[in-house]
Amino acid sequence: MADRVERLTNLLALLLETRRPLTLHEIASELGGQYPDAGQARRAAFERDKASLREIGIDISSETFGGDRAGEMGYWIDRSEFELPNLDLTDDEVRALQLALAATRPDSAIGEEALWKLGGVGGGVGGPIRMHLPELPALPVLRSAVANRHPVSFTYAGATRHVDPWGLLLRDGFWYVIGFDHDRSDRRTFRVDRCESEISIDASVEFERPDETSLEGALPANPLLLGDEVEGAQTALIHIASRRAWLVEREVGADRVQDRRHDGSIIISIPFTNEDALRSWVLGFLDDAELLEPREVRERLVNWLESVR
Amino acid sequence: MAQRPATERLRRLLIILPWLMEQGEVPVEEAARRFSIGVDDLIRDLELVSMCGLPPYVDEMVDVFIDEGMIFVGVPRLFTRPLRLSEVEAFELLAAGRAAMQLPGADPDGALARGLRKIAVGLGEDDTGLLVVNPTPPVVQALTEAVENGHRVEVRYQSSTSAEPALRQIEPFVVFSSQGNWYVHAHDVGSGGLRTFRVDRIESLSVVGNAENEPPSSMPEPGRWFADADIERVTLRIGPRGKWVYERYPVDEVSVADAGGWVTVRLAVTSQQWLARLLLRLGDSVEVVEPSTMKSVRAEAAAQVLRRYADG
Repeated sequence: MADRVERLTNLLALLLETRRPLTLHEIASELGGQYPDAGQARRAAFERDKASLREIGIDISSETFGGDRAGEMGYWIDRSEFELPNLDLTDDEVRALQLALAATRPDSAIGEEALWKLGGVGGGVGGPIRMHLPELPALPVLRSAVANRHPVSFTYAGATRHVDPWGLLLRDGFWYVIGFDHDRSDRRTFRVDRCESEISIDASVEFERPDETSLEGALPANPLLLGDEVEGAQTALIHIASRRAWLVEREVGADRVQDRRHDGSIIISIPFTNEDALRSWVLGFLDDAELLEPREVRERLVNWLESVR
Repeated sequence: MAQRPATERLRRLLIILPWLMEQGEVPVEEAARRFSIGVDDLIRDLELVSMCGLPPYVDEMVDVFIDEGMIFVGVPRLFTRPLRLSEVEAFELLAAGRAAMQLPGADPDGALARGLRKIAVGLGEDDTGLLVVNPTPPVVQALTEAVENGHRVEVRYQSSTSAEPALRQIEPFVVFSSQGNWYVHAHDVGSGGLRTFRVDRIESLSVVGNAENEPPSSMPEPGRWFADADIERVTLRIGPRGKWVYERYPVDEVSVADAGGWVTVRLAVTSQQWLARLLLRLGDSVEVVEPSTMKSVRAEAAAQVLRRYADG
């Protein structure tokens, strides 16, 4: 049997060069014996080739004929649909992209292939400062939905969510989707790595993104405010021992310090919506931090510790 | 030898051909190296497409021939432009570029910024919705300058095991951000070895002289720089609410979840105090499997913290 690459290349060439849609019968006869003669086997082989080309990024267009060939399908490929438009990138711009990839996603095969398409090469060594980007299969799909303003749905915390994704944001090492949650009728933030299903896009709808001054501002800077467990923020008072005081003050900011004790310890006040995150943060300091208020959250924290003592 | 799949070969050819057409002639070796493909594979695939064609252009569709280690390309007819960037590739470039723009020293009007703008325009999409926010503490800038200038610095560093910050001298090689934290990989003068330090635990920093040690030939792998150091390992059973542990920390192994969603995880323990913090945060969503010496860590830590609450 002839090499399949040969048949695919010939099919691609034929459908690119044709000036009118071709029927499968015409395609098979132009390709002289490369497709099986029997109708069903021929159709199956052609469908497989179509799928392979789509996998590469080339879609075969089709239309149904009318008139004396009514019901028959015609096929062609529109060159502008799959060719890279001329981006007019200069050599130093391509090199800058290569360095950016080396500093953030070293050894990325996808990035290397993207650079080849732009006329560059992959590899190279990042500079003295780097940032490792987490990789998640849902990200490219979400980016495309954000850019084309298509709603998405996915499973999150056990429930299906229908969301207009306004933005995709990387902060503190995690990717978040920010958008309008139709099931909650409100703005919500979701951690992309917590999405429990594949992301499905509804390409038939184009939503309006509100005129936000900045998406960045939509994501709370305080991680204790992320997640939607509680409506409305409460305030926690936490006593921090002197030896950790400088670390905490640098993390939360001096304006959160409510009291400074003579022994060098501090009392800080921080808003939270997520009690799990708050408990986790406080316990991270072991006995160098004590949650003072709210009293009922303090009691639950004590119970939490009693249960594992 | 296993044949590469037809789609993979064609995809690679459609990337290579436009480049070859622009070059006109190029050594086979150079083309193979550039596109990470074997010389024999490249020759075979190029010879194959050069024979492709349809009446009336049989053999003329792709005018390529190979002679004495050189590839010659004639007048291009087809496949003159590379394929569009796929969704995955577009994300890779834009996210990497936006992230690099957040690093100290990035020029908002420089080549990277211009390149990113051209790609966004070329995609024909509204690309303002993809953002990377990575605050860089001032110490990061100072450490980066130390790397660039080859300086040895003295830092006041709070290690996770000692009570008070202590002075130590380091020669930084690379500063990096991973999973929300900044780290510096450096030669530690006191211990004479390579160490990775958390930047947020550096209280202050000053330059003390020139570095005397060469940077290592390889830098730490993303997210797992301490994976192969001889650090003690612990095996834990973690419940569904503790998923964040193996999402966040580099782990050696994660088992398949059982019916209740519990998994067995093996991970590196940098210090017993680190493990104590982790176990308390997990509460009853964790059990220590081994070593047996670590089994009492959670209860002891809980008792220690409870003493503080009893006084309050």
